[in-house]
Amino acid sequence: MTIDQSLSHEAPTTVAGELHGGRLLRDLPDDEFLAHYQGDRFTMSILAARFNYVMEHVCSHLLRGAFSPIIREYYDFSAGLAGPPGLDYATAAVAKTLPVFFGIMRDAIAATVDEFGVGRIREGDLLVCNDSYRVGTHINDTCFVRPVFYHGELVSFVAIRGHMLDMGGIVPGGFSAALNSKYEVGLTLPPMLLFRDDKPVKSTLSLILDNVRFGDIILPDLLSIHSALAEGERLVHESLDKYGIDAYLGAVRYACDASAETIRTSFEALPDGEYVGEDVMDCDAADPDTAYKIAVTIKKRGGRAEIDLTGTSESAKTSINCAWPDIKSVTAMALKYVFKSNVPFTSGILRHVDIVAPLGTVVTAQAPTPVMMYFEASFALGRAIMNAFANVLGPEAIAGGTDAPTHYAHGVLPDGTPWVEMATCGGMMGPFGATSIGDADSGETNYFTNYMLPPIESIELNSPVMLMRHEYLVDTAGPGTHRGGAATLKDSQWLTAATATMVSSHGRYSTGTGVYGGRDGRAGGVWYWNSIEDFRARHPFLVPTDDAVYASSTPVAAVVDPETHVLDPKGTFYSWGQEALYDTDPGAVWRYLVHGGGGWGDPYERDPQAVLRDVRDGYVSIAGAAEDYGVVVLGDPDNDPEGLVVDGAATASLRATSGMASGR
Amino acid sequence: MSGQNGTSTTRRIAPPIEMTREQVAGACPSCGAEALERYPVLAENGWYTVVKCQRCLVSASRERLDHIGDVQPLVASLEDGDLY
Repeated sequence: MTIDQSLSHEAPTTVAGELHGGRLLRDLPDDEFLAHYQGDRFTMSILAARFNYVMEHVCSHLLRGAFSPIIREYYDFSAGLAGPPGLDYATAAVAKTLPVFFGIMRDAIAATVDEFGVGRIREGDLLVCNDSYRVGTHINDTCFVRPVFYHGELVSFVAIRGHMLDMGGIVPGGFSAALNSKYEVGLTLPPMLLFRDDKPVKSTLSLILDNVRFGDIILPDLLSIHSALAEGERLVHESLDKYGIDAYLGAVRYACDASAETIRTSFEALPDGEYVGEDVMDCDAADPDTAYKIAVTIKKRGGRAEIDLTGTSESAKTSINCAWPDIKSVTAMALKYVFKSNVPFTSGILRHVDIVAPLGTVVTAQAPTPVMMYFEASFALGRAIMNAFANVLGPEAIAGGTDAPTHYAHGVLPDGTPWVEMATCGGMMGPFGATSIGDADSGETNYFTNYMLPPIESIELNSPVMLMRHEYLVDTAGPGTHRGGAATLKDSQWLTAATATMVSSHGRYSTGTGVYGGRDGRAGGVWYWNSIEDFRARHPFLVPTDDAVYASSTPVAAVVDPETHVLDPKGTFYSWGQEALYDTDPGAVWRYLVHGGGGWGDPYERDPQAVLRDVRDGYVSIAGAAEDYGVVVLGDPDNDPEGLVVDGAATASLRATSGMASGR
Repeated sequence: MSGQNGTSTTRRIAPPIEMTREQVAGACPSCGAEALERYPVLAENGWYTVVKCQRCLVSASRERLDHIGDVQPLVASLEDGDLY
């Protein structure tokens, strides 16, 4: 049997390539639909749903067998199901895990298979590639691709992107924004054969395991990934047995076409024009004075769009860059947000969107320019795209959320055992921004990730650290008719000497930008207290949160008063890159306060009873209620929260007075 | 200016990178505008060099580039037949 390559995608933005002549899938006559997709609507829907079922089973299988906490508890992996080369690797489903992998899945599979050689793969193979410049993200996120053959014909691929605990390089675990070239980042794997005939390829395994730390964890993870993808292949075979190859391939195309159609019609609902947005990253580790701009111009005509990154800053000298594949992931995620779309994630999402991406920018770094903390640049791009749409969407705009500064540490236990802690003790959790629908959640991931923060008990079991605080801070949420989420404050105390790295690309200002008249969330910061003797004597347990405590801290990423180290928008910017590695003594405490989420709509339009509820729940203080919302709340929120009341007359007077003063 | 301990009171923006676009003679096959330009784009299924109308965004042509754009591994300088 030969796959009918005439069913491959036409170039979608040519006149000839307009799918179904521009008609919607629902408007196709049944016979035409059947002829095009080799199955009826019901069968296509069943198969498209089954693709997601396969992905869920692959993920469950991996979660059951994974040894690495970053996979097992953090969900730092994803899976994908793609069509054969004849369908141009159209990717019909991805797992519902980390979306940073979604948009790169199709290109990663295609680049891996094509460079290895389609004619060289066979049943029982497992290919591997981790090169950021070929497959995106960073080298820890290794791409594993398993071909699926059916009666001797290559019909599909199942793939996993999974974070390996270490990939060599000069920093254990790899996470550092101060790396100067790809050669410091770690081991690059071009497309290679990891398994043949379902047996590990000894030379490839040795290459990996001889160059990484924590091989005793990585080896079983590799075996688990092979097993999970073998399960995926078995489930694909079940579908092929039941529905046949023509319907299977038709459903791959149908799933992608349905996604493409949803995004196209969403664009059609917007006015034609050019939407401009930007985001600015504070600096890299080499120079606190030089910022990096991500410039976005979205040109929109009918159902077509072009996202032009011309004018984006050149690549940074240290490892805050991302490579070109990541552009697609954040673009697709941003579109899903701004269109509030439940469209299933397939490679078809970007069919009607061309991205103009000059190479050599901070989001299109080229080797050997270092790529490790790829999320700093790619998430900044996502924010720039959402900012561009915010100017057009009006009341449907989404306010900005947390920036998620990340913390990494490593060290050695007294018995000589090395440890590494990744991205659990910094500002990983924070608020969303508000929308027209309502107030925003607090304690979420940022918009472009979807990881699970491991339980505190698990974090403390894995590493010599205690999580001392993980709480919301009052008056940090962006005021609005709908309130932004509150900022999270987190304190971690390290029980052994530790070497830490961190990155926070938006310490100069809050990423929680308000929209539609809403105000910005309060800016946060990062500080640490080393285990100096008198400090521990004064604060043997919890580090207080009052202003007086900050003078003895070292500000790391914040704009603060240079003497008191208290947050001050007119103060001095302290760069996270001031130290490549922060060496601290046993007992040191790190504090992360993330930015508050942005508000939506005029805060003086907020229902006073909603403000009262926020005061009762600790999101807003009595003083903040008056200052930010013009609402006078009477009572004692700490000792008699249910006794709080709104002074209606005083509120009306304050809102009228403040409104006149501010020109409302 | 940078101060001690990584502080900063001023900020400059790293230089921008521009995309070179080549103007192409001829009319758009869809709207008829003489506004065609040639440049590389990243699309649903990889990199292309497009000739595209700047008025209506319809492509007059789309030529496939390598999967990883114009990034070429050094090994690609050898002939496939010379590699095992």
